[in-house]
Amino acid sequence: MKISGSYTLPAAPERTYALLQDPEALAASMPGCRELVRTAEDEYEMKMNVVISSIQGLFAGKIRVADKEFPARFRLLVEGDGKIGFLKGEGVLTLSPADGATEVHYDGEVQVGGMIAGVGQRLLDATAKYLIKRFFEKMAARVEQPS
Amino acid sequence: MATTITKTETFVGKRIRRKEDPRLITGTATYVDDIQMPGMHYAAILRSPHAAARILAIRTDAALRHPGVVAVFTGKDVEGIGPVPCGASLPGLRVPYHSVLARDRVYFVGHPVAVVVARDRYIARDALDWIEVDYEPLPAVADPEKALEPGAPAVHPEWPDNIAFTYHQEAGDVDKAFAEADVVVKQRIVSQRLIPTALETRGVVADWRSGEKSLTIYSSTQIPHLMRTLVAQALGLPENRLRVVAPEVGGGFGSKLNVYAEEILMGFVAMKIGKPIKWIESRRENFLCTIHGRGHVDYFEIAGKRDGTILGLKLKLIQDLGAYHQLLTPAIPTLSVLMMPGIYRFRNIRAEVIGVFTNCVPTDAYRGAGRPEATHGIERMVDMLAAEIGMDPAEIRFKNFVRPDEFPYATPTGLSYDTGNYATALEKAMEVAGYHQLREEQKKARQEGRLFGIGISTYGEICAFGPSPATPAGGWESATVRVEPTGKVTVLTGSSPHGQGQETTFAQLVCDELGVDIDDVVVQHGDTAMVPYGIGTFGSRATAVGGTAVYFALQALKEKIKKFGATLLDSDDVSFSGGVCICNKTGRTVSLAEIAAASYRAAKLPPGTEPGLVSTYFWEPPNFTFPFGAHIVVTEVDRETGAVEIKRYVAVDDCGKVINPLLVEGQVHGGVAQGLGQALYEQAVYDDNGQLVTGELMDYAIPKATMVPRIETDRTETPTPVNPLGIKGVGEAGTIACSPAVVNSVVDALSPLGVRHIDMPLVPEKLWRLIQKGGQA
Amino acid sequence: MIPQNFTYQAPKTLEEALALLADGTAKPLAGGMSLIPLMKLRLAAPERIVDLGRIPGLNYIREEDGKIRIGAMTTHYEIETSPLLRARCPLLATTAAHIGDMQVRNVGTIGGSLAHADPAADYPAALLALEAEVRLVRAGGERTLPIRDFFVDVFTTALEPGEIVREVVVPVEAPGTGTSYQKVAHPASGFAVVGIAARVRRGDGKIALARLGVTGLASKPFRADAAEKRLEGTDGAETDLRAAAAAVTEGVEANSDLYASAEYRAHLARVYAVRGLRSALQAA
Ligand SMILES: Cc1cc2nc3c(=O)[nH]c(=O)nc-3n(C[C@H](O)[C@H](O)[C@H](O)COP(=O)(O)OP(=O)(O)OC[C@H]3O[C@@H](n4cnc5c(N)ncnc54)[C@H](O)[C@@H]3O)c2cc1C
Repeated sequence: MKISGSYTLPAAPERTYALLQDPEALAASMPGCRELVRTAEDEYEMKMNVVISSIQGLFAGKIRVADKEFPARFRLLVEGDGKIGFLKGEGVLTLSPADGATEVHYDGEVQVGGMIAGVGQRLLDATAKYLIKRFFEKMAARVEQPS
Repeated sequence: MATTITKTETFVGKRIRRKEDPRLITGTATYVDDIQMPGMHYAAILRSPHAAARILAIRTDAALRHPGVVAVFTGKDVEGIGPVPCGASLPGLRVPYHSVLARDRVYFVGHPVAVVVARDRYIARDALDWIEVDYEPLPAVADPEKALEPGAPAVHPEWPDNIAFTYHQEAGDVDKAFAEADVVVKQRIVSQRLIPTALETRGVVADWRSGEKSLTIYSSTQIPHLMRTLVAQALGLPENRLRVVAPEVGGGFGSKLNVYAEEILMGFVAMKIGKPIKWIESRRENFLCTIHGRGHVDYFEIAGKRDGTILGLKLKLIQDLGAYHQLLTPAIPTLSVLMMPGIYRFRNIRAEVIGVFTNCVPTDAYRGAGRPEATHGIERMVDMLAAEIGMDPAEIRFKNFVRPDEFPYATPTGLSYDTGNYATALEKAMEVAGYHQLREEQKKARQEGRLFGIGISTYGEICAFGPSPATPAGGWESATVRVEPTGKVTVLTGSSPHGQGQETTFAQLVCDELGVDIDDVVVQHGDTAMVPYGIGTFGSRATAVGGTAVYFALQALKEKIKKFGATLLDSDDVSFSGGVCICNKTGRTVSLAEIAAASYRAAKLPPGTEPGLVSTYFWEPPNFTFPFGAHIVVTEVDRETGAVEIKRYVAVDDCGKVINPLLVEGQVHGGVAQGLGQALYEQAVYDDNGQLVTGELMDYAIPKATMVPRIETDRTETPTPVNPLGIKGVGEAGTIACSPAVVNSVVDALSPLGVRHIDMPLVPEKLWRLIQKGGQA
Repeated sequence: MIPQNFTYQAPKTLEEALALLADGTAKPLAGGMSLIPLMKLRLAAPERIVDLGRIPGLNYIREEDGKIRIGAMTTHYEIETSPLLRARCPLLATTAAHIGDMQVRNVGTIGGSLAHADPAADYPAALLALEAEVRLVRAGGERTLPIRDFFVDVFTTALEPGEIVREVVVPVEAPGTGTSYQKVAHPASGFAVVGIAARVRRGDGKIALARLGVTGLASKPFRADAAEKRLEGTDGAETDLRAAAAAVTEGVEANSDLYASAEYRAHLARVYAVRGLRSALQAA
């Protein structure tokens, strides 16, 4: 599944870039993130409990940041595995200044497997968009806090 | 002797309601899941979520710690049993070892990895979540054409080209035919993967009696006897210590013409734990792990003359086999090749088949099994040729049909068509549909800018499988007819039905031969301990082969009845009809019940006659049968949305002699519904990573009752000489005929926009896009 | 298809139910047509279920003060066949007839459908066009929300933990109002690929009121305000309908799935908006 879109965060690209790779900010913004541990330079392990109304899934996964070009772009690689399925994604985030804020454009591809792939296709697209939106909303709220 | 009334009522040819239906519609039938046994345990199967992966480790201790969990078995525990059998053979066929549980690798999503045995089915299911498997995912390939590309992931590492077999068949002078042609039309045609979706999923109960050293397997299967042989082999058990019972079976459509890992596995588990074990497949497992059907990519070329004469046909057939061979997997595309010429006279034919492994569940026989693909291909190609030369699709067919005086007709693919009157069937369908008025209506509709189409398919099929030399496991069938001491009649048939209605049709045969009432006959089947060895129900064979076996058993029985009758009447000139034996000299009679009683009492046996009234017959058919027909479909496509409306569906089928028109129509209705499913709705979609994304009935659309149009059925009747009853078979006709008729109709509707071909399913968005493009062009 | 273990509670009064739900750790169960399949697939695994089915007084359709009140536990079938709704608010009844199949309509409830907030559910389109209100209750409090504030996103509503849908309130239609629900049903699930509820009234020969509820198109059902505005004050000619329909998808991020791409879905929404408006105008 291809995923792309953009969201504007109310901070300059330099700060946005840093926040988008800050373990604490990530942990606080990722839907259902329970734990995010840095395991190596630009590598993290995480546990997530993703809840969307009745639907719930526990995932354990990895995040890796690569191809860093401060403060314009980086690549994000995500892997998650749980009883209801697994996902593997890769995307490029491009940051461009927009009137003191930053437009974050994301463009990537996610593979899902297991139960969520088998029974979820009708709603995967909308659900993915929703989770991404929730992530950026939380990020935005965080950005607005004085650093 | 009391006077007896001769029965004059006959049953064959009448619309008799099905004897089996009351129990089916009142919920009192016994399916596998209805079987309960003291001490029964339950199994759940852990399945791979990956299409290709190495298994690095399996940890079962957490599951085993639960007091309700009795055992967990993994691949290493079952090394001594199996493999899951493949019954088909082809020269050079590569047969991957198909272990009952995955060993170090998984090959498709749903591949069984471990089996949990627990006290109840709830714990068994919970325990699946307590087993941990470390997988190392590997690249997978789910598309047969991509699997053939150089550098594609190898499904089985030992065969990096992913080719399981190639198969070539050729007749006539194909190159000459194409060189002499006025027109050659080429088209790639896809017969998409389908999920058979029997209403009842599979299920197995296994019961091991250690004292008797005997195993009973209850399975929702179409082939209890073949299963007994094959499972006995897989388990290393003497076949006479294995009993297989197919209780009520809620549909199969070919998907239960198989021996699966689970039957072997449950037998193994029962013997290990010494308790009866039950496994019932969930719908999701059914989608992931029970065979799929079709899965062709076909490259066709047809050569013809401007006058409509077909000269030859070329086909490159790419068969998506899936990851393994199930019972008949590699044989299915060879059936397509056999039926490639359809019912047309051309002699030049070349077929190249490539069987390709993919990281998907295996394909195998699904209603029609190879013939729908062939018929779809030839019927589309004939239409395309007609369109190319500007000829009416009916006319090109009339021009090329094999003619009635040419039977038996030797086809270029080596078959001998028994009988046929193809033009008559098409004429009848055209008359019922009002073909010429419809074409007028179409002209008017087109002037109004409407997309109105008329599609024809004239199909021939191969049924009544089949003479034994041409089938992998024998093509005969057995029947036993027994008149009990009270005159009631029991029939045992090897053609174990799963919804077809043999309990009714076979009883009808008995009624007319023995002069008994339909309620006096019980047809029993499906239990290898009760019924002599038989082959099963598939390939539209049950009545044509199994029914014929019943017929022959009845003839022998009637001879015996006459002998007892003659003894009782003290006459040497008797005849038997309408349920009574009559002395032709004195007119004295004796009833069947009296004869039966005397035959078992055996106080006075006719010379050289055994007591009792039992007759068993194993009938070997001399040939296949070749039913045919013509379907005409009228459609209209919504220009704004691409939605297809079926305005008329006319089905004229010729299945030889008809025993029960009600059941024949029922088979046509059901077959057409499944054909519509393929034409309009169904497609098993695997994504690039081998995930089945149509994994539930929420996404995989089978036609519901409200989506099936009224079907106008009619028929012609051309008996076959292959069996004395003259019957050919009708189980698959509707499915085979339907999809090309629908696609031809919709292509016809869109032809003013320049559309020549559309692959199934004809989902609205696809048509909408074609309409958009046509509008711009 | 076996759910995880859960505790089942079947209170006999609303108060009891609200108390059991108050800490937000339990899931209410209504018809079970959405919740139970999710549990069987183990996509949902609530530890505690509070069955609302034994509570009297949650199942009704009655007219009060010019409005029709529908209890949360009223089934789709009861709504579909209600003589009161058929006569006084036909849009809701005709919409209910489009839901799933007979078995689902016999068991599924309006409260469950709203709370579940499937982006392809049918009711929301009608309720948005009707400018309905939902009454929500929780232990120790209640509030009433306009329907458009109720839907938040995919499967997500304004319901707070411990809060349930108590009733749905729809208007009695004024004379001269015409309504229509037009749906493209997914051939497998029956859910709306798109569903359009249209509601129009004429006054002085012009379109005085136009309401369009849209479901299936986006991640949540919505009112097509721009389309409504474009239509109001026009003659309701075919060109007016088309112009209005074009606005239905403006600025909307359409869903896509195997059956319908975003582009095609948006196209369907426009086609069905025209059809819906046309048939609503005919009924007006
Ligand atoms: C085969 C099938 C086809 C369907 N087709 C359609 C269709 O075409 N169109 C359509 O719109 N729907 C369709 N549905 C869904 C159906 O309408 C459901 O009935 C409905 O979505 C849920 O209602 P329910 O009463 O069954 O709720 P439940 O399944 O019991 O509950 C659903 C959710 O709502 C919560 N809940 C229930 N009641 C309340 C309440 N009063 N307050 C707060 N939360 C509550 C539950 O905790 C749960 O999270 C279909 C369902 C099936 C099984």
